[in-house]
Amino acid sequence: MGFVSDALASIGLNEFVITLMFVNAILAMSIYLTLYGGMFSLANAGFMAIGSYVSVILTQNHDWPFLPAILVGMVAAGLIAIPIGLPVLRLRDIYLAIATIGFVEITRIMILNFDKIIAEVYTRLHMESEPPKITNGPLGITGIPVETKLEYLIVTVIILSYFMIRMHRSRFGRALAAIRQDENVAASQGINVVYYKNAAFILGAMMAGLGGGFSGHLSRIIQPGSYGFGTAVDILAYSVLGGISSWYGPILGGLALTALPEVLRPLKEYTGLINGVVLLIFIAYLPGGLGDPALWRSVRKTAGRIVNFINKGKTANAGA
Amino acid sequence: MRSKNLLFVFVLIATLALPLGAMAQDDGERPLIGAWDTCADPVSLSGEVKIGVAFAQSEAAAIYGVPQQQAVELAIAEINESGYLGEATLVAVTEDAGSTPETAISAFTNLVAEDVSAIIGPTLSNQAMAADPVAFGTERQESGDPLIPVVGVSNTRTGMETDFAASYGDGGAYFRRISLPESKVIPGTVEQVVDILGIETVGIMYSDNDQFTASAYEVFVSALEESGVEIVATETFATGDVDFTAQLTNIIAANPDAIVVSALAAEIVPLLEQARSQLGYTGPIIGGNGFNTPGIASEDRGAGTDANGVVVGGAWNVARQNEISTAFTAKYEEEYGTPADQFAVQAYTGTWVVATAIRCADSADPAAVLEALAATADFETPLGTFSFDEEGLPEHEPVAQIIKDGQYLLLTEESAAEVFGE
Repeated sequence: MGFVSDALASIGLNEFVITLMFVNAILAMSIYLTLYGGMFSLANAGFMAIGSYVSVILTQNHDWPFLPAILVGMVAAGLIAIPIGLPVLRLRDIYLAIATIGFVEITRIMILNFDKIIAEVYTRLHMESEPPKITNGPLGITGIPVETKLEYLIVTVIILSYFMIRMHRSRFGRALAAIRQDENVAASQGINVVYYKNAAFILGAMMAGLGGGFSGHLSRIIQPGSYGFGTAVDILAYSVLGGISSWYGPILGGLALTALPEVLRPLKEYTGLINGVVLLIFIAYLPGGLGDPALWRSVRKTAGRIVNFINKGKTANAGA
Repeated sequence: MRSKNLLFVFVLIATLALPLGAMAQDDGERPLIGAWDTCADPVSLSGEVKIGVAFAQSEAAAIYGVPQQQAVELAIAEINESGYLGEATLVAVTEDAGSTPETAISAFTNLVAEDVSAIIGPTLSNQAMAADPVAFGTERQESGDPLIPVVGVSNTRTGMETDFAASYGDGGAYFRRISLPESKVIPGTVEQVVDILGIETVGIMYSDNDQFTASAYEVFVSALEESGVEIVATETFATGDVDFTAQLTNIIAANPDAIVVSALAAEIVPLLEQARSQLGYTGPIIGGNGFNTPGIASEDRGAGTDANGVVVGGAWNVARQNEISTAFTAKYEEEYGTPADQFAVQAYTGTWVVATAIRCADSADPAAVLEALAATADFETPLGTFSFDEEGLPEHEPVAQIIKDGQYLLLTEESAAEVFGE
């Protein structure tokens, strides 16, 4: 184990980076569910913020233990997804994307001004006591203990992976796939489209909330600015790079996209440039993503051919 | 033949020995900075003494991080050439801290694995809140590895010392900074500005989603109240905004004597252009630390003459030079071809402060270095006489400046009259 971690650290993947890679893998899986159901939702950065803030406030201000706190953060994200999903999921494609970006921005700005809102409520209700500082505005919450451990994350990824594999073969998974292919046809087959879309949206939100709880307890500081449009796009990029044709695609994408800039770190100011070039090459030549089953089949085929070739060479040599 | 050979050997030895002699004399040419006399030449130090350097070399904050990195390299070269650490050489272990808390944590994680004696950086305050505890926080304390001092040279967030002490106990004392927090710069500046320009009312504009500008805003408000200035309008915007005309119109409508702006460099340039060229505001604009980079007022990249009449408090000004900073800025410009800004001067100072702590401790042990660091007092630097006060906060005289045609002039009644044409 020590040998492996040293080897990884030598290419720039220290323990913190590896932990962050798995946090991002969870976030990537959260958007996979909605994409699987054909919903182009970018709301997960907002649910991540909710999960992060709720769990950090519980551990910091109310001395909750870590695991219950992130579970509550996850449930809170799921609960907020219900009233958001019902109206918003009536939209499709790019309109849904825009509406969900709106949700991300609203969440960020609500967190930013949460203390001001509380203070306003206190004055309106003529309350005597000093209004509490909960989210601490743009300065964010600092001094958060680092509770997120790599073991928790790996266990979480395994559980979520199991859930994903089961889902594909379940009634729920097949319903989502049908909705993705054609909503109207799916409805005519007796699939309750609204129910399934909302269920996928809420489950995705809960996964994002869980990822947010982990990320909040990793970097010692959380600020509203960390959960904006940029983060929404990052999460989308993980699953696009990884590919959404398989359940493991987003995981690979989250891991790879987090690791890449760290591996390229020695390039200093060229890091961003090379990072971008690598991504372009991937998107251009692997439109199905890193997790494209077709890609892995062809890799296996090529490997098989090479093995065959070598074996043939050996027999040929033996014959001679 | 024989004598000829002898002569040849003699000449050869003489030519070889000449530069050696000259090199030995070089030692007399010390840099002006340094505790050469207060601390004796170190005797136990030898080999390489490693310090970690982590500044933003990529993304948004690289505008500050690149000059910082250059200044540190210049200081380290001076320190080694002059033999400041005796037999030992100071070696920088450099990591790109990027512009987000996560990249800074990763950089610090790599640095502490290198057994450095101290770390200089990171560039942004929120990065410092996230990454500095890697060197002295709970996990480090529990691991039993030595805690490592972290010296911030551009972290200006208010109350970092108390926040770290609250979260990490004694470990919090391993954080030191060279950069004056806003709480030390702004009150001094506001006092001078109100006095010199005779301001009675102001309107305030600030970016409320950045912790740097938001904490500066709070300090501005309390400093203005202290000076008896009335705030007649407050408007907010977000980092990344490009249009500020609505907020500016509201503020100008309240007719204040001056506008106070707390923003980062990227927003300042369009804001100034809109206030001056589009809305025709001619009064003073008082800025926070973000205004402290010459790029703001440059003709091609910055706001050019629209920056005239901007008043900004800073840790350092090119017009208030002492002989140490004159020597540094000349050398910096010669080396890198651009004028040194405040961030470069602070990074240069920080490196010398750390080197001095190592020299005075006569040890590369992080705890000994911290002890010597905390004892830094009346150290002559490009920023003026530098000390840590009893709470561990940096202390030196801040300076009020006014921008005129790309130049940061000292704020005086004469320079103000020149700019506003009164």
